[in-house]
Amino acid sequence: MSAPVLEIRDLSRRFGGLEALAGVSATVGEGSVLGLIGPNGAGKTTLINLVTGHLAPSGGSVLIDGRDLTGARPWTIAKARVARTFQIIKPFRGMTVRENVSIGAMFGSARTASPRRAAARTDEVLAQVGLTARADATPQELSVAETRRLELGRALAIRPRLLLLDELMAGLRHGEIDAVLELLRSLKAEGVAIVAVEHVMRAIMSISDQVFVLHEGRELTRGNPAEVVADPRVVEAYLGERYARRSREAGRA
Amino acid sequence: MATSTPPARGVKAPPTDTASARERSPARSPWLGWGTAACVLVLLALLPSQLYGGQQRLLAGVFMFVALAQAWNVIGGFAGYASFGNVAFFGLGGYTTAVLMVKAGWSFWLALPVAGLIGVGFAVLVGIPAVRLRGHYFAIATLGVAEGTREVVVNLPRLTGGGAGITVPAVGPEATTSYLGNYGFYQAFLVLAGLSTLAVWALARSRFGYALRAIHQNEDGAAAIGINTTRVKVGAFALSGLLTALAGAIYAFQQVSIYPDRLFDVSITVLMVVMAVFGGSGTVFGPVLGAVGLQFLSEWLRTHYTEAHTFIFGAIIVVAIVFLPQGVVSFSRDAWKRRRVSLLETVRTYRL
Amino acid sequence: MTQLTQATVYGLLQGGLFALVAVGFSLVWGVMNVVNLAHGAFVITGAYIAWKLADAASVPPLLGMLAAAACLFAAGYLLQRLLINLIVNAPIWMTLLLTFGLDLLIVNGLVLLFTGDFRSIPTGYATSGLRLGQVRVPYGRLLGFLLAVGLTLALVAFMSRTRMGLAIRATGMDRGAARLMGMRVRHVYAVTFGIAAALAGAAGAILGTVATFNPADAGRYTLQSFVIAVLGGLGNMWGALAGGILLGVVTAWGGQYLSGTLVNAISFGVLVVVLLVRPTGLLGRPYYELRQEA
Repeated sequence: MSAPVLEIRDLSRRFGGLEALAGVSATVGEGSVLGLIGPNGAGKTTLINLVTGHLAPSGGSVLIDGRDLTGARPWTIAKARVARTFQIIKPFRGMTVRENVSIGAMFGSARTASPRRAAARTDEVLAQVGLTARADATPQELSVAETRRLELGRALAIRPRLLLLDELMAGLRHGEIDAVLELLRSLKAEGVAIVAVEHVMRAIMSISDQVFVLHEGRELTRGNPAEVVADPRVVEAYLGERYARRSREAGRA
Repeated sequence: MATSTPPARGVKAPPTDTASARERSPARSPWLGWGTAACVLVLLALLPSQLYGGQQRLLAGVFMFVALAQAWNVIGGFAGYASFGNVAFFGLGGYTTAVLMVKAGWSFWLALPVAGLIGVGFAVLVGIPAVRLRGHYFAIATLGVAEGTREVVVNLPRLTGGGAGITVPAVGPEATTSYLGNYGFYQAFLVLAGLSTLAVWALARSRFGYALRAIHQNEDGAAAIGINTTRVKVGAFALSGLLTALAGAIYAFQQVSIYPDRLFDVSITVLMVVMAVFGGSGTVFGPVLGAVGLQFLSEWLRTHYTEAHTFIFGAIIVVAIVFLPQGVVSFSRDAWKRRRVSLLETVRTYRL
Repeated sequence: MTQLTQATVYGLLQGGLFALVAVGFSLVWGVMNVVNLAHGAFVITGAYIAWKLADAASVPPLLGMLAAAACLFAAGYLLQRLLINLIVNAPIWMTLLLTFGLDLLIVNGLVLLFTGDFRSIPTGYATSGLRLGQVRVPYGRLLGFLLAVGLTLALVAFMSRTRMGLAIRATGMDRGAARLMGMRVRHVYAVTFGIAAALAGAAGAILGTVATFNPADAGRYTLQSFVIAVLGGLGNMWGALAGGILLGVVTAWGGQYLSGTLVNAISFGVLVVVLLVRPTGLLGRPYYELRQEA
């Protein structure tokens, strides 16, 4: 069996005295979705930053397609066909939607892409994320949902094998979430491995093959979505001990 | 073309070069642009026969600053890394030329490319560590490097003549190259200004230019899609260094006698920044406008208000920064697009 | 050996004064992200105010210093409130350029008013000094040092014990949050800038008693303040004190053994190396990571 698309072994990161992430290990195979949940401050974005090279780990390793890319710079990781979205989305303002996406197409591949091939890829991606009609708009003119799709489009332009999403669905309406989920399912079908950090439980439940719960920088539990969400420890971590206790007592009564 | 809507109220969108996004898809024939540029250049080349020495020197100075402003534009305007030490390249280019001509007896035309190479080399040397810094730190580090370079030059008197300066033999049997004269230097600076503007124009359309702009607007995002930000930034710095060093080289020959305080004068840096910013940093023609406008303004002030001209210049800078920080080119474009001229809008965007 | 000791003492005394010059600059940068290229001009203005008062009205230098501080506080407050607040949200080089323009204005204004001649403020005790063993400690510089350190300590106390001081620190850390808690940020910023200008002016007045000055010196004090602010960490007053003294001593030592201008090169070299190795300064915190913009 070939190596998983993403493997993290015993990954950790400290900031001075703060252990943002400690001893985290996981694997994600082709076409599978790993949902990453946990209360705020649990270390989810740190984990993504460690995988994409925006932060260097204090310990542990990151393997992409079997290659050890621990501590590599972000552009090296991008050329290894790893893409991500950012929690705070900052599209390239001075450029149109099309130009935003085409930059990814131009630089994302291991070989330099000719403008013609980049343009073809750009059109593909714009169609995939449903922004063809808005291709000539500037990012300021887009709605929130459209901006998210642009962010996703920019990531997809590099033809990723691994896609890391940082709270892509935050603040979206029901219909918009469904549209994004549909898109993610089609990517899954194409064999893209996905790690999705989310607070929107509906999204996690419907799309994840496995869910990984982070709490205070460490793994709390993992398993399939139904198991994890029912796990009392997870409820406690998210909602606090007193609430968890009260809801258990209410459940018994 | 999609219809454009103005940004929502309360959204603080600093003036960006959004207009250029549309202009990059040329609706009119590119030959029109090329033709105009060619005509302008030919006119400028022929102009000196109509002018006398002092005016030729003035225009030569204008062209020099066009080149300097464009050079700064690459690293400061496009990449967004405001270098406050570009004068280091200017001085190094000038001193390399002078030293080669005086000590080694080289011809100016041989020394010139070497000066350019020194500019590139120094930019790479300083750039690799420096581009790890952001914002003010980069500005100050480059400023520190420029000041330090001047001090080093001053402290190598056997090579550079130290604080007293060095003189290039321009006439007589010692001269390795005959002095170019007013017309010659006019042409030399004109060619450099043209090349610099051409370089920036080509840059703006190229992959490299896109990479620079991406880095400027979202460096982490740029890195995440595969742009080697270190290499791109150092490359921009190197181009900036090259053009600035060439300007310094020609300047040194023109002045004949050079000394460190002049060739490494920090006001040269500030002038080139002011010109690029007021004209419009990140645009192709902004620095041209800025250099032309500010040089003429400076000259006019100098002749009409000899004592107070720097004072007035300072006042003008202050006023212009407050009302036109995005530069004349972007301001005009936006005003033209929206058929509305509003100086106060910018103030409202940036004020506390 | 005595030469080295003399140089060290001299450097200490000088360094204290450098620290006073730099602390306001560092404060403004740390709190408001404004790099004030006109800072040196404030210093020289303070010197001129004290000089003019001494010259025209025989005002003793100490009072002259207070007058300079007061005038510059008012001027700094107004400048910030009416002008610099207009571009606080703009990209960094705008504040650099704006303050550069201001610097041109002020320096050349001083030249127009007072000409470029060298001036100094005469004091009764100018030439006498203590003797500590083999080392001579001039009264003028000693007094200057004590005043400088005293004012810096007063600033530290102000920042940690008064409401306004806390407001300034809070606003520096998170402008948006400070606003939401009811602080009048425009006023706080203006007070900060005023304090910085006042300290610069006081430093200038003191400097005028121990050395000559003229408008062209302004740039040197600004650049010096850069180095000290970076060395000590932005907005860190103890850091500015330490950095100032360090720079004073290093410059004095350097002046003993190296030619004058190479010393400048060294201080810039130190600056660049520190920036590359530890951008937070010797004592500071990671500036760009910790800021929250409004």
